[in-house]
Amino acid sequence: MTHLAAADLGQLLDLMPVRRAGLALLLAAIALPVVGVVIVGLDIMPVRFAMMHVALLGIAVGLLTGIDPMLCALVACALAGAGVAPLARTPDGLSGAMGLLMSLAIAAALLVLSVSGVNAQGAFALLWGSILSVGEGDLWLLGALAAVVPALFWWRRRDLALLLYDRELALASGVRVELLTLLLLVLVAVSVAGAIRLTGALLVDALTLLPALAARRLGTCLKTITAWAVGIGVAVNLTGFLVALSLDWPPGPVLVLTAGAVALAAHLVPERRTLPWRASASVPSPAPPSSP
Amino acid sequence: MGGLDVRMRRVECRHGRVEAVRGVDLDIAAGERVALTGTNGSGKTTLVRAVLGLHRRAGGDILVGGRDTATAAEWAWRRRACAWIPQKPATGRFPLPARELLAAGGAPEEAHRAAARLGVGALTRRPLHTLSGGQLQRMYLARAVGCVAAGAGVLLADEPTAALDFAGQEEAADVLLALPVTVVVVTHDRALAERCDRVLEMAAGRLREVR
Repeated sequence: MTHLAAADLGQLLDLMPVRRAGLALLLAAIALPVVGVVIVGLDIMPVRFAMMHVALLGIAVGLLTGIDPMLCALVACALAGAGVAPLARTPDGLSGAMGLLMSLAIAAALLVLSVSGVNAQGAFALLWGSILSVGEGDLWLLGALAAVVPALFWWRRRDLALLLYDRELALASGVRVELLTLLLLVLVAVSVAGAIRLTGALLVDALTLLPALAARRLGTCLKTITAWAVGIGVAVNLTGFLVALSLDWPPGPVLVLTAGAVALAAHLVPERRTLPWRASASVPSPAPPSSP
Repeated sequence: MGGLDVRMRRVECRHGRVEAVRGVDLDIAAGERVALTGTNGSGKTTLVRAVLGLHRRAGGDILVGGRDTATAAEWAWRRRACAWIPQKPATGRFPLPARELLAAGGAPEEAHRAAARLGVGALTRRPLHTLSGGQLQRMYLARAVGCVAAGAGVLLADEPTAALDFAGQEEAADVLLALPVTVVVVTHDRALAERCDRVLEMAAGRLREVR
């Protein structure tokens, strides 16, 4: 049975769609966990659901107007991301905004679909991608994301660390908070919407949120959390993909379950190695300050 | 003594329907040290936050170094010019190592030296959420020293000694008042207030000179 599975796996890996899917997953696992870290940091976990509905609205508008529906979906998501940015001023503004956005977008989408007479199932089908059906163009797009997202992150890491720690401290430290929040929300919205199209809605969670949630537990600062997220993303997705192939199971659920198991395991790891603050009380205090 | 002057005219701040700050007029000369006292909820923190643009529903004029804040660039200048020690340092949604807090002031070396002087020099690699309230307050004070070294001309310190033990309060006051800038310190600490050049009191949003 094992030999049979191994032989099957070898044959499957020779197939071009399977190779493309593997490469797509690898590229997505570099870029999307970084986006996931931002999602967790900004506390906007319902963003995937919100963007699914906003994208559906965009597709409905595209079908109604004759403009490329996926382009409309991405533009709608970018606008929605930018539109909720001002709500980041209050601590809970963004998480509430995602719920509001979700409800408004699905209502508007259903209205547009109903008025235009477009089949809702057909519109939904455009949104649903599959990792096994990614094309060469999609691979280039994922490759660009894998280069641009971590590079942007590295370039602005100090500002980001302050913003994700405390918005007011970032403001007082001269970070252009409004602009950075806007950029992050547009990046998150477009990445999530694009990823839904490329990999399917369920896989987006495995690629973005779950590695970031596991990494949040394991890392001690933004840099190490991001590194953990990408590492977990790459490891989990390649392992899950190979398991799915060898057992002939659908990759989406297997990948989500694998990533979920890792996230759960990370939360079972004992509290971090860092000494609690009480331990430092026994550290001898330095010499008293000399008088000025 | 360096520093920048601070001028307020008819400053009003609201929290919803509540008028937290009412018609505040205030002139602080460059290099002056001013203690802002008053009961809880009298509007002290709101007034200090309004200087930095952290309280959005504010009216009237606030000038620092004679400069207003009509544009984003002017706000950026204001926030560089005014070092800030918050009343309740955020515990943070995401971990931030103390050394990154110190670096955010613009002069990491000076901030690290101040952290060492304040007894938290060994904790700079630790995430802020693992520090105690007093250690965190010392770290913010060290960051403010870095801000001043990087060119800030005003220090707005909101209850900077509230979480400190008695020795710590004195140490912090020494560091704070030795800075060659204008200092506005919100405090309930009588000893700190007495060491300032002027003492102001806020009551129900209004400001009066005590000393």
